[in-house]
Amino acid sequence: MEESAREEILARLRKVPKEETPVRPVLPPARELSLDKEGLVSLFTEKLSRETGVVYRAADRDEALDHLTEIARTENLKRVMTSTDDTILSLDLPAWGDRNGVAVSTAADYVDREEYKRAVFDEADAGITGADFAVAETGTLVTAHSERQPRLLSLAPILHIAVVGIDRLVPVYEEALNAFYGDGGRIPAHVTLITGPSMTADIRATSFKGMHGPRRVMVILLG
Amino acid sequence: MKVNTRNFVQTAEREMQNQYARAFLALMPPVIAALRVQVMGSFPDPEAAQELGRAIRAEAVARMPDLLEEFERNAVAAGARVLWARDASEANELVLSIARERNVTEVTKGKSMISEETGLNEAFKNNGIEPFETDLGEFIAQQLERPPFHIVGPAINVPVEEICDLFMKKAGMEKATTDPVELGYAARLFLRDKFRRVRMGITGVNVAVAETGAIVNVENEGNIRFNKSSPLTQVSLMSIEKVVPTMNDALHLVRLLCRNCTGQGISAYVSIDRGPKMKEEFDGPEELFIIIVDNGRSRIYEDVKMRQVLRCIRCGACLNLCPIYSKIGGYPYGWAYSGPMGQVLNPALLGVDDTSDLFNACTLCGTCREICPAGVDHPELFLYYRELEAEGKKMSSGRWEARFFKLWGTAAAHTGLWRFFYRLVRPVVARYGKEGKIKAMPGPFEGWFKTRDLPVPARRTFRDRWRKSMSEKNLSRGGME
Repeated sequence: MEESAREEILARLRKVPKEETPVRPVLPPARELSLDKEGLVSLFTEKLSRETGVVYRAADRDEALDHLTEIARTENLKRVMTSTDDTILSLDLPAWGDRNGVAVSTAADYVDREEYKRAVFDEADAGITGADFAVAETGTLVTAHSERQPRLLSLAPILHIAVVGIDRLVPVYEEALNAFYGDGGRIPAHVTLITGPSMTADIRATSFKGMHGPRRVMVILLG
Repeated sequence: MKVNTRNFVQTAEREMQNQYARAFLALMPPVIAALRVQVMGSFPDPEAAQELGRAIRAEAVARMPDLLEEFERNAVAAGARVLWARDASEANELVLSIARERNVTEVTKGKSMISEETGLNEAFKNNGIEPFETDLGEFIAQQLERPPFHIVGPAINVPVEEICDLFMKKAGMEKATTDPVELGYAARLFLRDKFRRVRMGITGVNVAVAETGAIVNVENEGNIRFNKSSPLTQVSLMSIEKVVPTMNDALHLVRLLCRNCTGQGISAYVSIDRGPKMKEEFDGPEELFIIIVDNGRSRIYEDVKMRQVLRCIRCGACLNLCPIYSKIGGYPYGWAYSGPMGQVLNPALLGVDDTSDLFNACTLCGTCREICPAGVDHPELFLYYRELEAEGKKMSSGRWEARFFKLWGTAAAHTGLWRFFYRLVRPVVARYGKEGKIKAMPGPFEGWFKTRDLPVPARRTFRDRWRKSMSEKNLSRGGME
């Protein structure tokens, strides 16, 4: 029988004597690890602002909704799509939408994948989602996607608004990702790290936001 | 992608005359290089961070077969289908058959250097499938049918007027503009429609993780995320050297990649897939194919001196500080990879015979090696390629050169012989002099003088004059003691 590509490639790689694996240098601990909560908040805010992201603080649910109302007014939001993770559910956005004249829908509201895609590509003025973690290191949101956290909500609409509990703010990526890929629990199929809006500088090195994804990202830190 | 590495000199000469590209090269690479230094400062010990990256890459290469098997096992357990391809045509055929089985007529693509290597776009077109590059720079380069000018900005040198014409013709842009932002939005509009409708998305892979079977992609535009979210089928191509042991290794490499590539702390998006979407998810691919492509790498692996080239993570930091690249740009390198990265990769993947100018067009200054977060020793590889080339003796000048240097070596080792030849050659050489300089010489030395000149040898040698002045002194003094 003809040798498969797999066997042939692996056999050739195994034919040569093994090299020693080098000793890894030990890195000094990341500076972010020594920050207290306020230090993390200000680093997260500083880093995300540098990418034109806007960070709001909300002491409680009502304050978070007030921020959303203000954003909906200034951005003239008519239709939004939301995720259905615990943080977003706790805000009861359908009721908020009724009060503020904003149509609120979720992926489950559409009959099929095509209808959902049409809505998220063409109709939603903004995607409002939770995030599993906010990472101070670079002002980054980390999300494990699922049926409650559809992928396109933070990508297709021109505005992405994320609401994250302040207890989910961690210093470095490892603390977020080890929660997903560490021992036990269901490992997510798709994880994204989002740092500010979509961007490019591919034409004449002129940088601008909103290449394919959102032109703006706003984060409400809750609690 | 068409290989054009044999026209290095002509292309370089042409590009040196391109004032637009020259002005650009004088500006952009130093800016990225400065940003890089600044953002490396976010590590408490930047050099240790680079060293860790080098150690991770060295380990990844050393343990490659084991890591590949571990990666495959975990990816398959998560529901991905893992396929292997010996070479470019096998890889393209695998992708094509996946597309055919699903009656796909259009595909969208995220940036993938391995697919540029295999010429996947041409394969699609030849089989009646329309591929759309969705990275803005790749989209422009694809329509213009040019190799990448820079790995980060493949079309960053293209004048806006040209992009405007192109978008009017091929991207449905209605109103002419030379504003880069408006041009970008025109491409956004055009490609958004593709993202929405397309049923198969193609991506590359920046890092694959053995312990989880996950693949990691780094990008700024969001086009790769669209390719992983909207279509029903996702095909991700990776070359065999992409696997690292752990998730934390991958994270460290992502930190280094972004800093070294664009001077960013992190790119706008990093996306990690472990298998296709879960059943309940509303978006994401129902099938995830991962194609592991060899395309000459296991042969490179067999050569212990060349193997280190597989450590490269394609960050492009070496381009930005290279004194050669910064004069000629990416086109002369004639293939998917340019700059020092291309000078080490192209000869390894295409052979030294077709890439001679690439590894010879180097001053061996070593800046690329110093800056490399993956531990590639470029100068060492250049010398090795030169050695292979000389040993190959395929060029007639190689044999001539060998004889010349043998004679040179013998002469230099024997004082008498040396003086004899020296006296013989000096008057001959001096005849080509004009106004104190020799600027050209026919025959085998023609090439040497193309970029250099030589002062005309003085009528008498220093030794002759010394001897003469000594003997004159001695005469006047009445002899030395």
